[in-house]
Amino acid sequence: MHDAIRKGDFWAGLFLAALGAFIVEESMGWIYLGEEGPGAGFFPRWYGIAMVLLSLLMVAGAVFKGPPATRSRAVAWGEIRRAMGCWAALVVCIALLKVLGFLIAFSLLGWFLIAVMFRQPQKIALGVSVGGSLGFYLLFSFGLDLSLPGGMLF
Amino acid sequence: MRATENTLSRRLALLAASALLAASPRAWAQAPWKPTKPVDLVVHTGPGGGSDVLARSIAVMLEKEKLLTVRVQVINKTGGNSAVAAAYLSEKRGDTHTIGLFTSVWIATPLTSAEAKVAVRDLTPVARLMLEPAVFAVRADSPFKTMRDFIEAARANPGKLKQSGGSLTSRDSIMRQALQQHTATKWAYVSFQGGGERVAALLGGHVDMMVIEPQEAGEHIRAGKMRVLAQIAEKPLSGYPGVPTLKEAGYDVTVPPQMRGVLAPPATPREVLAFWEDLFAKLHATPSWQKYMLDNQLEEGFLTGPEFPKAIDKVENELRTQYQQAGVKTVR
Amino acid sequence: MDVFNGLMQGFAVALSPGALALCFVGVLLGTVVGVLPGLGPPATIAMLLPLTFKMEPTGAMIMLAGIYYGAKYGGSTTSILLNVPGESASVVTCLDGYQMARKGRAGAALGISAIASFIAGSFGVVALMLVAPPLAKLSLAFSSPEYFALMVLGLAMVVLLAGESLTKALLSMLVGLWIASMGTDLFSATSRFTFGQTSLLGGIDFVVVAIGLFAVGEVMANMESSEPAQMLPLPKGLRNLMPTWQDMKDCRFAFVNGSVIGFLIGVLPGAGSTIASFLSYGVEKAVSRHPEKFGTGVIEGVAAPEGANNAETGGALVPLLTLGIPGSGTTAILLAALVLWGFKPGPLFIEESPAMFWGLVASMYIGNVMLLILNLPLVGVFAQLLKLPGYAMYPLILGVSMIGVYTASGSVFDLGLLCVFGLVGYAMRRLHFPTGPMVLGLVLGDAMEKALRQSLMMSQGDLAILWQRPIPAALLAIAGILLVVPLFKKFNAVRVQVIDQEG
Repeated sequence: MHDAIRKGDFWAGLFLAALGAFIVEESMGWIYLGEEGPGAGFFPRWYGIAMVLLSLLMVAGAVFKGPPATRSRAVAWGEIRRAMGCWAALVVCIALLKVLGFLIAFSLLGWFLIAVMFRQPQKIALGVSVGGSLGFYLLFSFGLDLSLPGGMLF
Repeated sequence: MRATENTLSRRLALLAASALLAASPRAWAQAPWKPTKPVDLVVHTGPGGGSDVLARSIAVMLEKEKLLTVRVQVINKTGGNSAVAAAYLSEKRGDTHTIGLFTSVWIATPLTSAEAKVAVRDLTPVARLMLEPAVFAVRADSPFKTMRDFIEAARANPGKLKQSGGSLTSRDSIMRQALQQHTATKWAYVSFQGGGERVAALLGGHVDMMVIEPQEAGEHIRAGKMRVLAQIAEKPLSGYPGVPTLKEAGYDVTVPPQMRGVLAPPATPREVLAFWEDLFAKLHATPSWQKYMLDNQLEEGFLTGPEFPKAIDKVENELRTQYQQAGVKTVR
Repeated sequence: MDVFNGLMQGFAVALSPGALALCFVGVLLGTVVGVLPGLGPPATIAMLLPLTFKMEPTGAMIMLAGIYYGAKYGGSTTSILLNVPGESASVVTCLDGYQMARKGRAGAALGISAIASFIAGSFGVVALMLVAPPLAKLSLAFSSPEYFALMVLGLAMVVLLAGESLTKALLSMLVGLWIASMGTDLFSATSRFTFGQTSLLGGIDFVVVAIGLFAVGEVMANMESSEPAQMLPLPKGLRNLMPTWQDMKDCRFAFVNGSVIGFLIGVLPGAGSTIASFLSYGVEKAVSRHPEKFGTGVIEGVAAPEGANNAETGGALVPLLTLGIPGSGTTAILLAALVLWGFKPGPLFIEESPAMFWGLVASMYIGNVMLLILNLPLVGVFAQLLKLPGYAMYPLILGVSMIGVYTASGSVFDLGLLCVFGLVGYAMRRLHFPTGPMVLGLVLGDAMEKALRQSLMMSQGDLAILWQRPIPAALLAIAGILLVVPLFKKFNAVRVQVIDQEG
């Protein structure tokens, strides 16, 4: 497990160091100290620098720390794939909102998650997703007069 | 006689034909446009903000004076100092049931923010509803009794006195720039996000002066906590009889006026525009409106027709000049 | 008019059938609004304003105020059951509340939330009634240097929220600071980190980040296993359906803490209930005998912030009614409503409109009682929600998240941001980065930067303003102690370890 975390820490540290560097670079383009006080670049420069320093510390820790603990488990890519699959479904749902409207897009999302990801029977998947969709519609759009993300169809 | 009967029937036929023609759809197309479903009034503040309150008041007045047969609903599109609302209105091209309530911020933001891509001239001007005056206020126990006191104190202690206000591009800030330039003095400026914080800073003694709208100041003045040094208005306001305008106090400084008005989406058809112009002209003439203007100490500034876009352009150019003089980067 | 007479007059107004009915409608609506994520009191009150013109003003105000403080009761429901913050102040409740639910103690969490809200809410009303005018004057002494010190103290809480890795907590907070600075800079009108997008000009809304990090991230993490495990264990038996006497004893200090801190923070214009809940959570953890357990489902960790965000409503009414200064979005609308009805909130308000002021105060007492009676049975109702199997819950949570974000901002762009932060939340979970500090950084970062720059503008660039004034000096000293002590402890522990190894 530590191996995985170490690898994770390493990459996260590098990413954050890069982000910190980006922030500092952007802040150079703004006024650091104006005549009326600190400018727009003041704060970002400092927390950007802090970010770079701390993330490099983390990278160093990941590289130099001792051997991993006894339980050495490879990164559970299977689990990550499933989670990313769910995330991708959400992204697609939101992308489709403009075209299909909330009712249909959300029903699709629900169906995908229940039937494909959780491998439940089709009847249940359709029932819950369409039911949930209608429920949301009734409660929010009809009952509370709020606008749900609308599309061409709904 | 047969000749007369023929003439008669011919006349009848002619009459019938012209009646049919008059009743044809082409004739109905000449009837004036009217809204047929609820109208969306877009504002750039959240609920409770200045534009939002005005928009809701307008909705109430339109209903009370029975000027509109459909409902008006207020749509809040906050973000980006009006950039989001302007972009939204611009997207509604062709929608005849959406209009927007704008303030000078809609003119100012595209000048300084590259991301604010929609300028007021990209939208259709309908009418300017009012101008917003402001006053210079200090705490009631402050040593400054007139505008001159403040300016002279600023001259004697450059940079020591402090004014609370909004962002660098707001009217408070522009006023300060113009006044500083005119009198060759300097004082510090502290920006606060909300009106409440600005007032709190003044009342708590953390700053010495602020520019504030009469309706906001009214209560504090009545309670004896604030004093008004001068007013920023073309003509003196009725609520402040003893207070000189800036010009009367000896400082002939003008800044672009704060205005509020109505805009419509781009490419609005002429008859729709005519309807809106007419509606707001009628609203302006009602007693409810006049009472609202008086209660809130607003300055008369109703303007419609071709003069209105010219006024907008004038404000835009003045703002651009002021910003550049103040050292604020302008992108358009 | 002295307090007793005023209160009697107030009750005379508030106990009339019309006022009671309006109070009930208000608190009921408030609870519903609070439970639904994304929909907040400001929008609801604004929608109802036109209706109130036909009503008698005192009654209308009673109703609107009911929505305001009622929403604070409901906000904890989705935080505890779904890890979806019902409104920004409920974010802190997610930390321990959701963990309690995972252990089967959802009922106790919901129950203590209602009880703490009642105690703190009532305290807030009493304080409003007794100390409003003098406290208002005191609140004016608070300006940017004091706010800055308060924010620093708040950020020092990160140390307390750190958990295992301080580095990661600090990095998380720094990212939060970065997100907070996105948008148009107030002082110089420069756009920062907007990547050319109009929608980012106003910055990123807190609600989007919180729901994305907490709710969506959590769903994604749960999706890893294909077992449609039951979402959360049902509270079994009355012990877990309601807080026990032991629970109430444990929360003794939390009740006080939440009430006092919430009220005081509420009095400061602009501070907000999110800061109040974070601070009271932090203080609770600091004085606790088992601080390391916070974040795993400690009941005081729910009672303190929930109390704080209720007491804050009482506090926020102080500057509104006695100075005419609105401290937050909701109080701004209430101010607008009062002005529209012809009232004049300000120093003369209590004298000139005693019926409105005292009627409002009295109705708040009644409202808090109504809310307690409403919410306790609802605990059982909401707990039934947990019967849903996991595979049904997770899509529903995603749906609620989407709707919550959309109703809060009305933009599909924000839904896109929801996805982004969902991914970030998931990544943070896998990499063992704490999410609390990021939210804290987001909330406080903006306010802290503004306060610092305002302070330096006031003092002409002289930093000494921060320790020459008594309040900032005191607050900064406390923050300093908070930061140094854990480091000291760690240093000591290392020292002991070294000694052990040598010896």
